Amino acid sequence: MPTLTPTLTLTSTDATIDQLAFSVTDSLSVTAPIQSMSKTIAVSNVGGDNIVVPATGGTVTYFYCRHTGTTDGSTTTTVPVDVEETGDAAFARLAAGEWMFIPFCHHAGNVGIQFQVTTATNVMMEYAFWTKA
Amino acid sequence: MATTTATLSIASADLLPSSPLSISASSTLTKADTTIGLHMMESGSGELTVAASNNGVVVKEATTAGIGTAAKVYLCNKATDPTYYIQVKLHDAILGRLYAGDWMFMPWVQGDTDAEISVEAEGGTCPYEWAIFKEGETMVART
Repeated sequence: MPTLTPTLTLTSTDATIDQLAFSVTDSLSVTAPIQSMSKTIAVSNVGGDNIVVPATGGTVTYFYCRHTGTTDGSTTTTVPVDVEETGDAAFARLAAGEWMFIPFCHHAGNVGIQFQVTTATNVMMEYAFWTKA
Repeated sequence: MATTTATLSIASADLLPSSPLSISASSTLTKADTTIGLHMMESGSGELTVAASNNGVVVKEATTAGIGTAAKVYLCNKATDPTYYIQVKLHDAILGRLYAGDWMFMPWVQGDTDAEISVEAEGGTCPYEWAIFKEGETMVART
């Protein structure tokens, strides 16, 4: 099985006098379905219009997404985007430039992931996902 | 204000051998709707024992003051047995599953006071660690 190596690094030299320098990494075996790095324009504040991960069937889905800070790749925007399960419950809110990475596995089983812009406007989002082998 | 940077890299040499995967994303952790840096961090570690359903440990309560504010959450399952996992919950909804060694990082949305984050071990005892970067809180007056 292919292996993904995700690494998180958190740094700050001025948060406190105790400088933050933290890193954690992992090794994930993955299989299909896989969505390679993609971009989509979340087009409205209706989450059902922006489903990016179809119903997972209860599998663990490693999900990455990032708010590009643009409406179309060039025009800037600061409108946040909610990340929701397809039952319309938001679990994260991304501001411009922010990203997230989670092993999604919803208790309802057959649930996916969608984007919902917090106002009726366009936001270009970057995303990818891989399924736990 | 503090400048805290979160950087993600995802690499794979064998997902598509002729085109190795290399993703990198970086962001500065800021307060909601501003460019002002988050300057409070809470963190901890412990061991989660398997408990009856819905008897997990609350990592962070949602509060009235926290609604609409920015917070970034890191969680990691430090277990070594690959069959042990931690369920991550947002109130009653199971959001994700961290198997041994897995971690997650996300901006937590506090839509209401029923948006607490909790964790439950499954399969066996899971050492874990967590951190939350968040906006400042109003100090409580002495009573």
